[in-house]
Amino acid sequence: MIDNKNLLENLLSAYPGKSMKNRKEHMMIKDSGEEKQHIMANTRTVPGIMTNRGCAYAGCKGVVLGPLKDVVHITHGPIGCSYYTWGTRRHKGRAKDGEKNFISYSFSTDMQDPDIVFGGERKLKQAIKEAVEIFEPEAISISATCPVGLIGDDINAVAKEAQAEYGIPVLAFSCEGYKGVSQSAGHHIANNNFMENVVGTKDREPKTKYPINLLGEYNIGGDGFEISRILDKIGYDVVSIMTGDGTLEEIKEAHTADLNLVQCHRSINYIAEMMEEKYGIPWLKINFIGVQGTIETLRNMAKYFDDEELIQRTEEVIEEELGEIKDVIAQYKKMCEGNTACLFVGGSRAHHYQNLFKEIGIETVVAGYEFGHRDDYEGREIIPDIEMTADDRNIPELKVTKDEKRYKLRLSEERYEQLKKEMPLGEYKGLVTAMEDGQILIDDLNHYETEVLLDALKPAVFGSGIKDKYVAQKMGIFSKQLHSYDYSGPYAGFKGAVNFARDISAGINTPTWNYITAPWKNDPEIEAELGGAS
Amino acid sequence: MARNFINLDVNPCKMCMPMGAAIAFKGIEKSILMMHGSQGCSTYMRRHMATHYNEPVDIASSSLTEQGTVYGGENNLKKGLRNTIQLYQPKVIGVVTTCLAETIGEDIDRLINEFVAEEEIAKDITFIPVATPGYGGTEYEGYYLSLRKMVERLAEEGSNDKVNIIAGNLTPAEIRRIKEILESFSISYNLLPDISKTLDAPYSKDYQKLPDGGTTIEEIKSMGGAKATIELGALLDEKISAGQFLEDEFRIPLYRVALPIGLANVDKFINALSKVTGAKPDPKLTEARGRMLDAMVDSHKYNAQGRAAIFGQPELVYSIATLCLENGLVPALLATGAKTSKLEELLKKDFGLAVEDTVIIDDTDFDTIRDYVNKLDVNILIGHSDGKFITERDGIPLVRVGFPIHDRVGGQRKVTIGYDGSVNFLDEITNTLLDRKYSSYREDMYDKHFTG
Ligand code: SF4
Ligand code: SF4
Repeated sequence: MIDNKNLLENLLSAYPGKSMKNRKEHMMIKDSGEEKQHIMANTRTVPGIMTNRGCAYAGCKGVVLGPLKDVVHITHGPIGCSYYTWGTRRHKGRAKDGEKNFISYSFSTDMQDPDIVFGGERKLKQAIKEAVEIFEPEAISISATCPVGLIGDDINAVAKEAQAEYGIPVLAFSCEGYKGVSQSAGHHIANNNFMENVVGTKDREPKTKYPINLLGEYNIGGDGFEISRILDKIGYDVVSIMTGDGTLEEIKEAHTADLNLVQCHRSINYIAEMMEEKYGIPWLKINFIGVQGTIETLRNMAKYFDDEELIQRTEEVIEEELGEIKDVIAQYKKMCEGNTACLFVGGSRAHHYQNLFKEIGIETVVAGYEFGHRDDYEGREIIPDIEMTADDRNIPELKVTKDEKRYKLRLSEERYEQLKKEMPLGEYKGLVTAMEDGQILIDDLNHYETEVLLDALKPAVFGSGIKDKYVAQKMGIFSKQLHSYDYSGPYAGFKGAVNFARDISAGINTPTWNYITAPWKNDPEIEAELGGAS
Repeated sequence: MARNFINLDVNPCKMCMPMGAAIAFKGIEKSILMMHGSQGCSTYMRRHMATHYNEPVDIASSSLTEQGTVYGGENNLKKGLRNTIQLYQPKVIGVVTTCLAETIGEDIDRLINEFVAEEEIAKDITFIPVATPGYGGTEYEGYYLSLRKMVERLAEEGSNDKVNIIAGNLTPAEIRRIKEILESFSISYNLLPDISKTLDAPYSKDYQKLPDGGTTIEEIKSMGGAKATIELGALLDEKISAGQFLEDEFRIPLYRVALPIGLANVDKFINALSKVTGAKPDPKLTEARGRMLDAMVDSHKYNAQGRAAIFGQPELVYSIATLCLENGLVPALLATGAKTSKLEELLKKDFGLAVEDTVIIDDTDFDTIRDYVNKLDVNILIGHSDGKFITERDGIPLVRVGFPIHDRVGGQRKVTIGYDGSVNFLDEITNTLLDRKYSSYREDMYDKHFTG
């Protein structure tokens, strides 16, 4: 039995004093005996420790804006940032009839030396003109990268002017990479802009009795396709998706939904909160990862709408879907049972995937987020206690008020309170609830810590991203990318669970692991001949 | 026209300068790179390198935040260096800048000097600062500039019997191949950089934070006393040429040759080695040359039907273009995202009339490349993975080579240099043409007999 406390102490001992103190606060061993346990998160990255975190631009353009397929996303800055976000997150997008799809494009103003010296506004204006003339998009987004804010380009003014000139929405995002402490800042910036300029700008009649928005689902590896398939089958009217396989056109109408589903709490909770304030749409924390998660989500949704027909239809679909996958999953479970996993992903997946792992018999022993906040670990009740830092203050907090014309009470107060007791309505209880006593939560894990933890705990699978994937695999530990799925997926919903079980099972059980030791290493005679050398 | 749009780069055919630096520094023994700027850049570059090399790629960042942009990044950089040293114990630290650091005017030379003076732990470490603003060039320039800065910083006057080899941006397997060729000449050499093990390390139970291998500091030092330099890079500007520096500073004769892809280019490389060593090439090499020639004659009839678009870093484009030209395959389009006029100059000089019908564009993007591909009736694409943008739309097959190859495995193990490598590569190109020919033949037959 490994003593996790000792393990963390050892791990920390390699750091210089100050960094040690800092890193220590970002780790926690769950102990439900303690009244309230805390973990530090969303603070500045310690320089030089190989963080896995990205920048605000990555969170804004890369994560939230990128999947919107009808928008030409112009990166205003030097070429690199734009190049590195080109198709790399594997968010899929299929254009419906007549829809435009720019998902496989990368647009950049490709700033050069003189633009940095003399300013890039003119270039940006021209770039917008070129984009409008040739690509005729429904809208344009402008995302600023690091140098832009520093040289004083006013992208908001350029956007406003262009919007007036071309008659399409032109949205400016001041998501310079240095803002905030991770990609999380970029999510917030994107949310604010949607709320300020997009949601509520177009009305729409619901197509069925159950109009919903799906928030924080980015259609990585086609997850959203699977989720939409299930929702369509039951009879939901998906007004908008933020933002996987989504369009800006749909987000304009998002205020007409009666329920917001929140998949990734970290990246999208801002807009869910603001839409509740402004339009009276409650939000429900859901999880479409894992069979049980999916079932529970569907049942909660049906209960929310409180409609016999819907409840019945939901059960029918669940039964039908389960029937198709049950045996296959059981098969894979046999092959994976009894193993452990360490998960370090994003701002929600280290939590979401635990269910799915459990369903194939794998227990998660360490979990952490790359850019989560304290509420993602400890639950939303900690929010009032979180101190605002200078970095937080650099991202404007948007205040919204009731939209008298469009506000609609979806639930009576009593019913809301009643439902709140039965499901996570307007609530997220955090990663800590998924963990057992003695297990480790760790924030902003870096390469060095990854090595130490994997070496000590030797899990069968490490669920993480591409940057640390090969650290694990070099150590003989199968690593599954839970950001981009290693060109696989979907993993969400019912059918996705089967894909996931298949991939994990294949990874854990690959025959390759049997060949690690060369035959001459086991044969004492040969070893002697070689003089023990290898 | 170089680009469809003047102000908009649509689907870039280039990356930024620090990316090149990251690859170059990976080829130095026990080295680590610190990117001074905000952390996004380093995260993105690690990500891109990891998808291509399938290796852990540690690049540190000084993680500047808004505060750093106001008060300067000195504290972050120094703190970052302290942490990196403590955790990794490197021998060499490359310190490069990103757009952010350059825009706020960070003077990394001064900061490094201060750090070395202040810190005990910095004593045994070699620091190599390189200014690499992302807006100042592409990964191509970043790569060679870093090599030059290493040599500028470390090479020492002297006299030894070694030959300097400055490698272009090749794969780890290609670097291994270069070494085999050098060893066949029985010479001692300084190979800069050497990513053969660091970016393609064997599986080993004991994980090493900084993998074995790479050019040593001693080797770089002794480059100043070598008897000759062979630099693999025919197009690069003198200002970013390490070989040029060695010639200017230490009067070391410089032989600049193209990446040894294609018979003529390999010949030039072997010939240069022969000249500086005074030795004849090993019979194995001449045999391999003969085999390549034989293969070229055999597949000529198929290759003559090819019209290729070749894109990527200028050196690679140049060498592959010559491979095509010497095999009768028309290089209809040569394209690079970097800015260079040398591609055209050199090809015109070496091949004259043969390139009459070749369109050569620099500073370009894939949107433009795609238009030309269709205009020029190209039937084969040769370049890195991003060319799939065209394959997906227009169905033209892509032979993957260069960096990055992120949607197929084995990019780091691919060998296109030397006689053997070139001929295998040529076979791959020829077979791709054949594949296309037969599959469209089948389609035609199907259309004729079963539909319509
Ligand atoms: S272009 Fe500049 S800001 Fe962008 S990734 Fe490259 S160095 Fe960083
Ligand atoms: S940190 Fe800045 S320069 Fe780097 S990728 Fe992000 S926006 Fe671009």
